Amino acid sequence: MVPDRLKVQYPKLSDFSQPNVITTTADLVFAWARSRSVFPFTYGLACCAIEMLSSGFARFDVARYGMEVFRPTPRQCDLMIVAGTLNEKMAPILKRLYDQMSEPKWVVSMGACATSGGPFYDGYNVVNGVDKVVPVDVYIPGCPPRPEALFQGLLELQKVIRQYKFVPELPELAKPAERS
Amino acid sequence: MFDQFATAEPDEAMKLAIRRVEETTAAGKGSYLEGLELNEVIVNMGPQHPSTHGVLRLVVTLDGELVRDVIPVIGYLHRCKEKLAEKRTYFQYIPIVDRTEYVASMNCEWAYVLAVEKLAGIVPTRRAEFIRVITGELMRIASHQVAVGTFVADLSPLGTAMVFYCFNDRERILDLLEEVSGARMMFNYFRFGGVRYDLPDGWVEKCRTLMKDMPKLIDQYESLVNDNAIFLQRTMGKGVITQQDVADYGITGPNARASGIDLDLRRSRPYSVYPELDFKVCTGEHGDVLDRYQVRIDEMRESVKIVEQCLDMLPRGPVQIGSLRPPYVIQPPPGSCYVGQENPRGEYGVYVVSDGSRYPYRLKYRDPCFCNLQIFGKLLPGNKIADAVAISGSIDLVLGGIDR
Amino acid sequence: MAREVGRVEITMEALFARLAADFGDGLGDLRVQEPDTLVAAVERGALHALAERLKAHELGYETLNFIAAVDHVRHLEAVYHLYSWHTNTWLELHVEVPRGKAEIDTVTDVWPAADWHEREAWDMMGIRFKGHPDLRRILLKDDFIGHPLRKDYVDRAENHPHV
Repeated sequence: MVPDRLKVQYPKLSDFSQPNVITTTADLVFAWARSRSVFPFTYGLACCAIEMLSSGFARFDVARYGMEVFRPTPRQCDLMIVAGTLNEKMAPILKRLYDQMSEPKWVVSMGACATSGGPFYDGYNVVNGVDKVVPVDVYIPGCPPRPEALFQGLLELQKVIRQYKFVPELPELAKPAERS
Repeated sequence: MFDQFATAEPDEAMKLAIRRVEETTAAGKGSYLEGLELNEVIVNMGPQHPSTHGVLRLVVTLDGELVRDVIPVIGYLHRCKEKLAEKRTYFQYIPIVDRTEYVASMNCEWAYVLAVEKLAGIVPTRRAEFIRVITGELMRIASHQVAVGTFVADLSPLGTAMVFYCFNDRERILDLLEEVSGARMMFNYFRFGGVRYDLPDGWVEKCRTLMKDMPKLIDQYESLVNDNAIFLQRTMGKGVITQQDVADYGITGPNARASGIDLDLRRSRPYSVYPELDFKVCTGEHGDVLDRYQVRIDEMRESVKIVEQCLDMLPRGPVQIGSLRPPYVIQPPPGSCYVGQENPRGEYGVYVVSDGSRYPYRLKYRDPCFCNLQIFGKLLPGNKIADAVAISGSIDLVLGGIDR
Repeated sequence: MAREVGRVEITMEALFARLAADFGDGLGDLRVQEPDTLVAAVERGALHALAERLKAHELGYETLNFIAAVDHVRHLEAVYHLYSWHTNTWLELHVEVPRGKAEIDTVTDVWPAADWHEREAWDMMGIRFKGHPDLRRILLKDDFIGHPLRKDYVDRAENHPHV
């Protein structure tokens, strides 16, 4: 047990009240690192899962974007790619697995079924879109989307990841003269 | 935040597993290790698992590493296809049939189209029959590549190169099918009375080149794993399906043929132009995991031969009857009809009940994986968990067909 | 040692005559349909005994292919599709079930494959099979209310919370 007076107090980036050169440089570095080493979660439910698998193998190589580490456990993942139709029996399990992922986490809904129910939208058992259960960052249309379409979606996701800031700009904290 | 998982109520399948454990304890059956008490753990190989090939849930009762009892729970991909059939016309329903066994979608469309054609009395054109056989057999090769590749990937998680080779060669087949139909996986290509598009220029030559290369590629797959001592040790003698099981549970396809039964619907109840083609029905001897793998490899070779024969015999002519006004809206006479055909996984058939209107009255799928999955309760207990994964990979399940 | 199908060469007319002679009382309205299928209607109460006799027969029907449950509005119907290894033919049994009391005897002791097919018929159509070892829902969630493939099924808010 280390007593408090001997513990090293590291300064936290969120202690800064306004963005400055330190926080913006940290933003750049972390954004660069996070967006290029995403660990996806294999949540393939249906047919889109086969296209997700194809995109991981030799011809369409997802490793060139740094995302080839598909982990089956949610504890080790950043990104959940929901590929396939969600139905009422599976929805609580989706929510549970999303909760088990640790922050920061992103969700990509791949395919027409995950976006809005797809060709099965009027089924008695089908949830019309994954965003009824978890918050989604990028939607990829298609039935199934080609691996190239999946890559475009993942590149859009990289843009979303790069927007994360340690100290966001808050207008209330600006100097009175600058407030309009 | 995490306490909510610990207090979740067990559902019906877990309650059944718990009941069975209590019954076994009450009956006084001990552990398989001498002198130890029974300590069975109920584990969910849950709907999200890397080795269950889709959203299959196995409630496994384990005694150490030994599997005592398995309760498969399905329905996590139930997409109400049979009810949707009543709201779509026969023609609008073809894309939905595609998505049943999504790894072998050409064959699924073929079964549906055959059943409706038989009910309505439509005879497809001869060129279309040959194109159907060619695309169906190409899809069979691609489907077996997925099956064999993911099976070997299960044995050692993505550790072998086999799955990469299989999927890479599958891309070449999907390129051909994309040129013909426009899509990589869900083709929407078959129509009542023929197929949608004719073969584009140069397709036959490309197909021939690929079929010349294919036997070498299949030899490559065999050379990767067939002589591996660990592979043989993990697959020989495991998960034996006896011939009595095949008859009792209605198992069809490579799983039945590996047990030595000569049941192939292309031979025993031939449809389309299969009576004119010359091919061998591949059977195994023992019905274990190795035989099922070997039967699929042999079937890939036979499919190559069938495609080559069809390319030689391909006649000229239209690819759909009534070339100016194809039958988009059909109203079959009232009645019912079942046609089963040889899917890469077994006998896949559609039982159509029609009441004379534009919409099907009732559509029932006979799915091979649904029937094959029933044997899990008998096949898996008594094996270690690693063997259970190998056995379930060799049965080749696709959840889209099981759950519909 | 491979086991072949179709060891007994028999024409459809001869098979029709044979089945009519041996099972004439059980198989009502027996007729030949398509190249190799026989269709018959069976009484609900006589199904189990007939099933045992069909399986034990010399040209036995050893395999159950599927059980389809159909909702004709006035009554329900269960269609059993059987396959015979010896003659390589199919037999379709249509069993009429009244809507109010939709019960049939189970055939899981005759054909073990009937286990999951009957569970699906119960799940989707609400036909109860007496004597089934474990009749519970198979494709839908456990607390689903209603049987969806019936023609009078209406979507309910309890079944569909995430609409």
